[in-house]
Amino acid sequence: MSIAMAGRISLEQAKLLVGFLESGQQEEADAVINEIQNPINSELFAEIGKLTRQLHDSLTNFQVDSRLNDLATADIPDAKERLNFVITCTEEAANKTMDAVEAIFPVVDTISQQVEAVKPSWTKLMNNDLDLNEFKVLCVGIDTLLKNADKETTHIHTLMTDVLMAQDFQDITGQVIRKVIDLVREVEESLINMLTAFGISAEAMQEKAMPKVGDNLVEGPIVNAKERDDVVEDQDDVDDLLSSLGF
Amino acid sequence: MNVSPEGALNKNMKVLVVDDFSTMRRIVKNLLRDLGFTNISEADDGSTALPMLQGGDFDFVVTDWNMPGMQGIDLLKAIRADASLSHIPVLLITAEAKKEQIVMAAQAGVNGYIVKPFTAATLKTKLDKIFERLG
Repeated sequence: MSIAMAGRISLEQAKLLVGFLESGQQEEADAVINEIQNPINSELFAEIGKLTRQLHDSLTNFQVDSRLNDLATADIPDAKERLNFVITCTEEAANKTMDAVEAIFPVVDTISQQVEAVKPSWTKLMNNDLDLNEFKVLCVGIDTLLKNADKETTHIHTLMTDVLMAQDFQDITGQVIRKVIDLVREVEESLINMLTAFGISAEAMQEKAMPKVGDNLVEGPIVNAKERDDVVEDQDDVDDLLSSLGF
Repeated sequence: MNVSPEGALNKNMKVLVVDDFSTMRRIVKNLLRDLGFTNISEADDGSTALPMLQGGDFDFVVTDWNMPGMQGIDLLKAIRADASLSHIPVLLITAEAKKEQIVMAAQAGVNGYIVKPFTAATLKTKLDKIFERLG
């Protein structure tokens, strides 16, 4: 054994080894040799053994946490269904409202045209400037207008009630979305617990975390425009930005 | 029926409205109709819109930005890159509100940018401005 390797065995170990050999304790002597040869390995094995046990325990705990399982297999698919329901509901409401409004437009236009038709003669009448023949024509015009207005205001009233009733989606979708928000909160807590279990601090991650964006930076509607300085708040901001670019 | 100055706009011009949500297409169509436009077609994303534009003599495109398939910004770039379409004015109506995106759209050659939610008055103002510039 060279001097350079002297650090691998201590005087105590050498004496111990000689003592075991002299007294014929072969097994103990071999154990000392093993210890001298593999000090690092045995520490490493002990450490790996510890980690393996921890990992095993962690995995077992995850399986035991059936709530996590329920979230993934039942609650989240259910939430997707709920959100799809919200899309359907709001789309139906928008279409019902537009059906009614599109039905109202031509009715209002007709009444407006009939008013325009009698207006010149009516103005003349008010100025005592209308002759008898014109008066007779005016009477027919006003008769048409009155009959039509009478009939159509009832029609418009019915359509307006349809618009009113189409707004009932807000109550239903509000309740559905609130349930989904509760679920998101629960998933968030579970994920934070998981991060904590792996020794990652959620607070430390939070600062640099930004919502994911798609191609061309698409992000959809910005709900916290006031708290951000990379987005415009309204059309005036857009116009200002564009005019600063020479638009 | 009150686009001003009267007659400055050709109400018979062929307009293509591009949006993946049918309700938004319907809203835009109603507003355009109210402004006197009668010749309006629809497409639900850029990749549907582009062949329609190439096949028909459209005069004006109103498009959303964020759509599955081909996005509005890519449709705009494709229109500007196609010699037979590059003259068509394009108005973006979108919820995308990042300053960087507005700059991106301006550089791609957009003619107007309306951020959602918007009003009928905003649409009218932007249309007047676009066609006033084009003369």
